[in-house]
Amino acid sequence: MGVAFVAHCLLNQNSKVREGAHCAGVYSPIVDVLRAEGWRIEQMPCPELAFAGLNRFWAVREQYDTAAFRRHCRRLATAVAGAIAARAEQGEDVVLVGVQGSPSMGVTITSSDPERGGRPAWPEGTPEHTSGEGIFVEELHAELDRRGIAFRVAGETHALATHDDDDQRARLQAVLRAGGG
Amino acid sequence: MGDERSFRVALVADRFVNPAPGALDGLAVLAAAGWGVMQLPDDAYPAEVARPLLVEVAEQVEEFSRHGYAFVLVGDRAGLEEALAAAGVAVPPRIAPASAAELGGFLAAQPVPPAVTAARG
Repeated sequence: MGVAFVAHCLLNQNSKVREGAHCAGVYSPIVDVLRAEGWRIEQMPCPELAFAGLNRFWAVREQYDTAAFRRHCRRLATAVAGAIAARAEQGEDVVLVGVQGSPSMGVTITSSDPERGGRPAWPEGTPEHTSGEGIFVEELHAELDRRGIAFRVAGETHALATHDDDDQRARLQAVLRAGGG
Repeated sequence: MGDERSFRVALVADRFVNPAPGALDGLAVLAAAGWGVMQLPDDAYPAEVARPLLVEVAEQVEEFSRHGYAFVLVGDRAGLEEALAAAGVAVPPRIAPASAAELGGFLAAQPVPPAVTAARG
């Protein structure tokens, strides 16, 4: 058992890009697993909300990969890392729960399309998904590495074409239990 | 694709997100009522850890507020009022609930957010 630092939108779907909210507010499937496994929940800020606002477009990693957004993410990452460090100093296990497919919050799957830009028009589907971290997770990862803090990752998978509730739950449980707590 | 958001957000003290055994589970009440949650830093964090987190909370509240989302405050957190003021946002209607029924009644009594009216229009 330990502390799960979760993506903002997992407790607040109102932060999602338009047409992206899967439920009214709290995404309970993730919360339920964390609580059943005895983990504390701590919410991270949404990197995209404060930077690009509620009226932002759906975007891929390349569109957010600017010096200004990275500076913003580093500021957030430093704030979050302070809380993580406080937990780690107490010997608590830390897991980051991100959002797979997100350009900011993906933990092992982000989104990529080097050609995307200009007037927004693209077909349904998620062909842009690719292996890798979102930009905020990348910056947080770097900050935690700098501080020598170990952590594991898990991801909410609703945006993926392969999403399955049972599989998502099982994967999260496996990550939470991997520390032996 | 639809969008299920409620346009309702609660700033919630940590003790209602991670309740002690037998204490009020505010997160469960808020989830059932369809409110999103913005968790406030644990009271155990020193000011140098909590302050930058509160700055980010306040900036996000400011963005939601400009778009007509509803806000409430469940519990409290030292430094929150100052952070909200720095972002130009007023402290929302607040409650320190003693029971799920009290919190549920408080949430139900909140007015329809302007953003809901705009979305329907």
